[in-house]
Amino acid sequence: LIGYRRDMTDPNRPNVRRTVLMVLPAALAIAVFGIIYGAVARPLIGPGLTLVSSLIVFSGATQFSVLALLTTGATAPAMLLTAAILNVRHLVMGAVLRPSLGESRLKRALLAWFLLDESFGFTVLAAGRVEAGPKREAMAEHTLLVTGICCYGAWIVGTGLGILGAGLPGLDGLARAVFPVLFIALAALTARTLSLAGRAIGAALITAAICLTLPDWRGLAPVVAGLAVALPDDPRRPEAAE
Amino acid sequence: MTPLLLAGLAAITYGSRLAAMAALPRPTGGVEAMLARVPAAIFAGLATLSLITPERSAVEAPILLAALGAVLVAPRRSFALCLAAGLAGYVVGQVVPG
Repeated sequence: LIGYRRDMTDPNRPNVRRTVLMVLPAALAIAVFGIIYGAVARPLIGPGLTLVSSLIVFSGATQFSVLALLTTGATAPAMLLTAAILNVRHLVMGAVLRPSLGESRLKRALLAWFLLDESFGFTVLAAGRVEAGPKREAMAEHTLLVTGICCYGAWIVGTGLGILGAGLPGLDGLARAVFPVLFIALAALTARTLSLAGRAIGAALITAAICLTLPDWRGLAPVVAGLAVALPDDPRRPEAAE
Repeated sequence: MTPLLLAGLAAITYGSRLAAMAALPRPTGGVEAMLARVPAAIFAGLATLSLITPERSAVEAPILLAALGAVLVAPRRSFALCLAAGLAGYVVGQVVPG
């Protein structure tokens, strides 16, 4: 019992309940967006494909973008190209997470299914609190799995409710407010030094500039900005993690 | 939308997730150090992205106030406090007219 209590309270140990509580606001917001997606997609592609799309694509950005392209009469190659551009960010997110994950390629391949903006954020946050090594790997894999399952479940349930005709008057605005707040909180928590905070502000400014000047490339803006500000100040100096 | 197109979208999405996490080699040295600086910047970028519409205008005032609330308490580096301040900002935006 004492060991169990220690597991519950020790932030350095994986704990399902604590992780679920952490991801809950994001999961609820994702469910609301799932409802909106289900309601919008059903008349365009039918209830069956709407549900299957959420089951096998599991990417709000990709799915909403494809819907928008469908309404403009875009061709299949244009939709696939858009999906490819939007998903480039996964390459960067996966590369960031990779050092925190274990050596099992099969486990990483399964966990990759759950890689999305929100689960990435919670995983980086949780892993960063634990010293490097097996404990960090366990924490990162646990967090990615639990937050990913919660987000996936929320997205599927939301899509299903949307297909069935559920409506959430007034809640969509609150759901849309959750994401900037969530990402600001994650930025604040992962900016552990003044240098990182300064780079984060720089990335926000670059993202805004890209969104305002090149709106077609806005999906890539956060990753481009993130990589741009992460470059070393002086390339001749040896690298050190901040 | 055909089932084949849907399968293509799924393959691209999962493929991009799989590539970096399971297929590509683990980054080391300078690349790993650089990637360690990326998360906070990406989150700040994602937050900014969610405040600008595809039509290049700002989102509605309650959402901006929610973000402002979170930014104001961000230096405290508390996840719960950011969420609470964001919610407070959103409520203020809903209550205050104009």
